[in-house]
Amino acid sequence: MTEKIGIYLCECGPNIASKIDLDKVADELSRLEDFKDKELIIKKHKLLCSVGGKKFLEDEINENKLTHMVCAACSPRDHDATFINVCKKTQLNPYLYTIINIREQVAWIIPDMEEATKKAINYIHAGMNRVLYQSPLEEKQLDSNPDVLVIGGGMAGMEAALSVASKERMVFLVEKSEQLGGHASDLFGLLPMQGETLTSLQRMIAEVKKNHYIKVFTNTEVERIVGFMGNFEVTLNAKNNDGILELLAGAVVVATGFDLFDPNKLDNVNYTAENNVFNALELEAMINEKKKVALRSGEEVNSVVLIHCVGRDEVGYCSKICCNYSFKISNYLQKQGIKKITHLVKDLCLPNKTSQKFCNSVVDNGAEIVYIDEFKIDGQKLTYKSRKGEEIVLDADMIVLAPSTVPGKSTNEISKLLNLDLDEMGFFNEAHMKINPVSTNIDGVFAVGTAHGPGSITDAVIQSKAAGGKILTQLIPGQKIVPEVKVSEVLEAYCTGCKTCLQVCKFDSIYFDDEKGISVVNEAICRGCGNCIGSCPSGSIRSKHFTNPQLYQEVKEALR
Amino acid sequence: MNNEKVLVIGSGVAGMDASLMLSKAGKKVILVEKLALTGGKTIKNEETYPNLDCSTCLVAPIQQEILQDANIDLLTLSTVEKVTGDEGNFKVTINKTARYINAEACLGCHMCYEPCPVVIKNEWEENLIDRKAVYIPCSGALPNVPRVEAEHCLRLNGQDESCSKCIDACMFAAFDFSQKDEKIEIEVSGIIVATGYELFDVSTIEELGYGKFKCVYTALEFERLFASNGPTEGALTLRDSDKTPESVAIVHCVGRDKVGYCSSVCCMSSSKHAHFIKHKLPEAKIYNIYSDLCLPDKTYQKFNTKVKEESSEFIFQTDRNKMKVSEDGDKILITYINNEEKESKLSVDMLILASSFVPPKDIEEITNALDIERDEFGFIAVEPHKIGSVETSRPGIFVAGCAEGPKDIQRSVLQAEAAVAGILSIQE
Repeated sequence: MTEKIGIYLCECGPNIASKIDLDKVADELSRLEDFKDKELIIKKHKLLCSVGGKKFLEDEINENKLTHMVCAACSPRDHDATFINVCKKTQLNPYLYTIINIREQVAWIIPDMEEATKKAINYIHAGMNRVLYQSPLEEKQLDSNPDVLVIGGGMAGMEAALSVASKERMVFLVEKSEQLGGHASDLFGLLPMQGETLTSLQRMIAEVKKNHYIKVFTNTEVERIVGFMGNFEVTLNAKNNDGILELLAGAVVVATGFDLFDPNKLDNVNYTAENNVFNALELEAMINEKKKVALRSGEEVNSVVLIHCVGRDEVGYCSKICCNYSFKISNYLQKQGIKKITHLVKDLCLPNKTSQKFCNSVVDNGAEIVYIDEFKIDGQKLTYKSRKGEEIVLDADMIVLAPSTVPGKSTNEISKLLNLDLDEMGFFNEAHMKINPVSTNIDGVFAVGTAHGPGSITDAVIQSKAAGGKILTQLIPGQKIVPEVKVSEVLEAYCTGCKTCLQVCKFDSIYFDDEKGISVVNEAICRGCGNCIGSCPSGSIRSKHFTNPQLYQEVKEALR
Repeated sequence: MNNEKVLVIGSGVAGMDASLMLSKAGKKVILVEKLALTGGKTIKNEETYPNLDCSTCLVAPIQQEILQDANIDLLTLSTVEKVTGDEGNFKVTINKTARYINAEACLGCHMCYEPCPVVIKNEWEENLIDRKAVYIPCSGALPNVPRVEAEHCLRLNGQDESCSKCIDACMFAAFDFSQKDEKIEIEVSGIIVATGYELFDVSTIEELGYGKFKCVYTALEFERLFASNGPTEGALTLRDSDKTPESVAIVHCVGRDKVGYCSSVCCMSSSKHAHFIKHKLPEAKIYNIYSDLCLPDKTYQKFNTKVKEESSEFIFQTDRNKMKVSEDGDKILITYINNEEKESKLSVDMLILASSFVPPKDIEEITNALDIERDEFGFIAVEPHKIGSVETSRPGIFVAGCAEGPKDIQRSVLQAEAAVAGILSIQE
């Protein structure tokens, strides 16, 4: 069968037509030597992206029974999708069409009409070469499981579970320890702007427990996860009595929490268990347990120094919650009647509209805020260098340190289980820190709460709800999943089994077939980024819509 | 509860993200935008911190997707007048101002601006440049369709009904002066409010000299000055001059004590501005005068440290309310209280005031139309007894982004995604 190529030249109003002689383009293309055995249909149109233009293209494809189509128009950014949608209404496979940008890349940048016309011919010719080497690709539809695995039973994990559990969607909530609640259970209370103290946590735990669509596994760890969005196979190890459990989930939410930086790692901090130096969580636990603050000896406390930003320079980031919770502690101490309270700060970080007011109220009640550059703790002795440059020795009964938030111990393990990217600080990385902050490098896996960076309980809950929003819109019960079509494929005959591609794949989409000794691409996961293609020493991987012959044919002509 | 439509108000990053997600879930979205273009405040920035991603590259694909999405009905130049009914069954009245241009026919070729005889300040460009009565706010605006503003158009405001200069210039017969402002009634099951913020009016702090001394700028004016699609195409020339500054001071926390909160964004945007200036004017001396550095993300301190090392001298001021600004010849003279609690002076060519985020001027109209409560600062209040709530005081109406309080793009997007979860849960 002779190829029948439709070539449509968009005038784009005056944008293209006034800069490129489209009649000359059409004439020269019709006389191309290397296309003389092909049937060419070359037409101009005033505006291909308009309603009329789309109808025109649709009719052209149908009436002429085109085998290929080239649209010479604007940037693919603008209207590639428009023309693909036109193809989808017809018999023409959209992967047998290509767009050539003669507006931004020719008309708008080349003032001389003759030169622009020549270049446009050259580019369209390149596109005609390419399109002949393109192959039809078909979209696949995969079944998906709507259930969700949540790893971590702190407030973030519980909120994620609550925001997606429904009669159509089970949630498996896995917690390593004996109990739900995470770090929040250690706190004596929440910030005033976070509502009532711990009743919020208790209420949340109760809600999770009574929800029929949430199955809680405490004392349980995740042993293995394989698969992709809509189809994760999960193996759990329930350490109490159930042992190994297998289940299926369509999405995974990672909410594995944080740890505190150990202040004794600092050269300027040196204290022992006998000194009245506490980190913030120790003090929280004391208040929780004894409902009062006392020295280790049990004696009354008259003066307290709270040091913010402990470890900030070492970890390289502000943990954003320490100022707020230090004032929360201060507020508690003031209620206990302790009058002399000093905060040593480098900067106040109060990223919530109500925090400044809370901070001001603590200051109004007598707490002092001192800006410092350095401090040193030796046993119970505290010295600091003020912002003014003075060296000052401060005598206090009790020193409370607000250490930085660091990644939780299990972060690393979980990242290996799921092949999740970690950032340079060791937290989970976002798919895009600004516009896709709870998604990760793996489709269907979301990271929330402090597992993904320092933040307050409020931040964690919002992130969990956001992950809920993502799951509810991406994994709809009964709806099929359509994976990327322009994926990589391994040419068996050429693969030497070196496994280089397995290391460079960011999406964990390549596995090794031990029997055949070759790499295999899981097309449901591959996103077509091309990393593996560049890394393959034997040239055995190709992208289905960017094959070497396709690119060669296009570049060959474009460079002529 | 079987109404499949959702109303989203505001087409900044939060509103657009929510709309696209809801569309993916099969909902019909009516996206209402007050201005003629989508993209919110984000597109005023050339680059976003800390990765210095080009904002247009970040947002334009999202804007483009909004325009292409068959489930999303974008109503620009529109505001919500009234909402009655309850969660699951809201009745909404929308006021849509006529554009006087048929978007289907218009190509965005810009041929109509030049002949328009009306010249006024372009408020979207922070009044740094003029525009016509038919205009798009900036190049690259999406949808790429100009509007005719009835208030200033001679043909529409009665000053010269025969004026047809723009119509004559249009090769596509896209003008349609028979269009009328419309009232649109729709029914929706849920609503997301993402109406954004404004900057605190720094001219109200007289000591800082904004509006009085021409080389004093707001942060948003500076963003537009730096933007390659802005009034100077990115040239950092001083107001009414072609000189570039040899020294620049950027003051953080302007208005913080007047509004009563830290806006949590300004330290990073001010660090970014220092970086921008250094990049474009390597010889310039740059100072950031700050009182606290609020760097609330794991990646922010690293960026700030780099700026301190490469671009700007960070000066600590002990009392941010005692700063005074005066003019000294061509220079701006800043008097502030230094780290030793003594008065200190700094003379620069240009001063940028990084001011607080405040609710937009029309917030009262918005909250009255929706019948939802505001907090003590005037932002939209969320359910106070629930942690991390994005529910407003009226069930079925959710809030996202800076409409709820100052925040960066990431946290705006998070709230938008959380609000989507809220909307979808009411519909089940």
